[in-house]
Amino acid sequence: MKYLTLVLKSALRSKRRTALTIISVALAVFLFASLRAVLDGFNAGAEASSSTRIVTIRSTSLIFSMPTSHAETIRAVPGVRDLTWANWFGGIYKDQQHSFANFAIEPESYLRVYPEILLTPDERQAFLADRTGCIVGDGLARTNGFRVGDKVTLKVGIPTYGTQDYDFTIRGIYRAGSGAVDNQSMMFHWKYADERSVVKGQLGWIVAQIASPEQEPQIAGTIDEKFANSPYETKTDTEKQFASSFVSMFGNLNLLLGSIAIAVVIATLFVAGNTMAMSVRERTTEIAVMRTLGFPGGTIFGLIAVEALLMSIVGGAVGVVLARVVVNPHVIPSGGFIPEVSVNDLNVAIGLALSAFIGIVAGLIPATLASRLKIVDALRRVA
Amino acid sequence: MALIELRDVSKSYHRDQNEIVVLNGVTIAIGAGDFLALMGPSGSGKSTLLNLLAGIDRPTRGSIRVGDTDISGLSERALAAWRARHIGFIFQLYNLIPVLTAFENVELPLLLTPLSKKQRRDHVMTALGIVGLSDREKHYPRQLSGGQEQRVAIARAIVTDPTLLLADEPTGDLDAKSAAEILTLLQQLNRDYKKTIVMVTHDPHAAERASHVLHLEKGSLVDTAVHA
Repeated sequence: MKYLTLVLKSALRSKRRTALTIISVALAVFLFASLRAVLDGFNAGAEASSSTRIVTIRSTSLIFSMPTSHAETIRAVPGVRDLTWANWFGGIYKDQQHSFANFAIEPESYLRVYPEILLTPDERQAFLADRTGCIVGDGLARTNGFRVGDKVTLKVGIPTYGTQDYDFTIRGIYRAGSGAVDNQSMMFHWKYADERSVVKGQLGWIVAQIASPEQEPQIAGTIDEKFANSPYETKTDTEKQFASSFVSMFGNLNLLLGSIAIAVVIATLFVAGNTMAMSVRERTTEIAVMRTLGFPGGTIFGLIAVEALLMSIVGGAVGVVLARVVVNPHVIPSGGFIPEVSVNDLNVAIGLALSAFIGIVAGLIPATLASRLKIVDALRRVA
Repeated sequence: MALIELRDVSKSYHRDQNEIVVLNGVTIAIGAGDFLALMGPSGSGKSTLLNLLAGIDRPTRGSIRVGDTDISGLSERALAAWRARHIGFIFQLYNLIPVLTAFENVELPLLLTPLSKKQRRDHVMTALGIVGLSDREKHYPRQLSGGQEQRVAIARAIVTDPTLLLADEPTGDLDAKSAAEILTLLQQLNRDYKKTIVMVTHDPHAAERASHVLHLEKGSLVDTAVHA
């Protein structure tokens, strides 16, 4: 503690340089925490998915649909306990910028198969009873100020669903009971969309509830076999694989975002290291004087290292606070493609640890050089 | 017994293939309470001798004993601890830390001691009082004149009550009036506080303030004078 004044005053000797270093670390940590939050969001669905739900889609791509008769065939497969389906509706609310994910679902079975969609009994009943009713996630409701009873109009985004706008009444605001369900979506009756569709009786994906995860390979194989060599061949996977494939539509995000984060951190490491090296070089005489006064090399090392660590951790703290304020579902809605993006406590801890790592590495070489300074040479160099 | 004994001390450097001899077999004894001036032309080895006495440089040959300690045999760590306890060093260019106040500069060597904050404060204020700068404790070096800066540097040198005060051209960067004040202060420290002082100087007027004068030339002792 008795060295604190010395460390603080040394760190603040060039306020502009210190501020720039702190800002660079803050930006690095901000980016790192934000990118991690986005990755977490993308991966949350897969992580939290149920192991007793399997999803059937067209083997060609998720964007192609299949007939309702597939549902009946799958329901008859041994081991399938329950079943539901959904379609990606792609409706546009106001404009593309304000849009959110919206799905046509078979309401009764969907709420049964996904007990994580939490509604009050009244809301559930009201939704099931109203063919033009819809439910919205609490995150989406917060973002758009939706309340139960509000009217919502969606423009048609995919021509298959006709040309006329769809009017809905919000009958419930659901909470997500797990990461498998995002709270940024809107869901409504599949029949409402189907009756206006150009091609009737089409399903986007079918979700089957099975008794145990061990049965998955066998049941999935049986399902896909049933539709082999038909015009609508299928591909059945676990919900986790389905969620992962949904994410992979955006490319290899883990690699892309991870690479960006690492590049930023390395660049910042060089900036912080250079700053500390410059700072120590400027203080060569002072360090020599302190050594003359009797300061051991270890103490000099500690003072420089703590100074670098302090600057970096302050930067890290600013970065994580910034990330928490900016990466906020109110400000950056994820559009319903992924659960709410937020910088959680783990990301904060990792961000701070990262800033500490930057500080330690950046201070290591300057601190070592300062501690090994040859006093006479250093005094002679300046005098 | 002398407080300081240098026996056959030599110091040489290697530059390229050449060996440059800076000190050549110097033997000196300095008694406790002496005020010794080291004189000589540039390159005569007087600053090197001072650095050896301070334990910030090591002799190539010979031994240096201060009190009961042969400092030429100490490890780097032990030497640092020895300096902190026994040496007060006054530089020509004061070498105060610019971001610290006069108080904090003087307190610096005390941070290495186990003294409490209050004890450190008492020591610092005593040292600043001796050099006549009690009222400047909160001033930064840039807010002080050259003479005042050197006084703060002297306060920093004496605050641990060291065995030996070493001054490397302490008046070299000062005007005549300030230089005279600094020399008077050093004399006072020697006379009133019985401090043993070794001062390197070019200035014969400064050397006259010392009780003994040693002349060095080309790394060897050439003359000794004792002032009344």
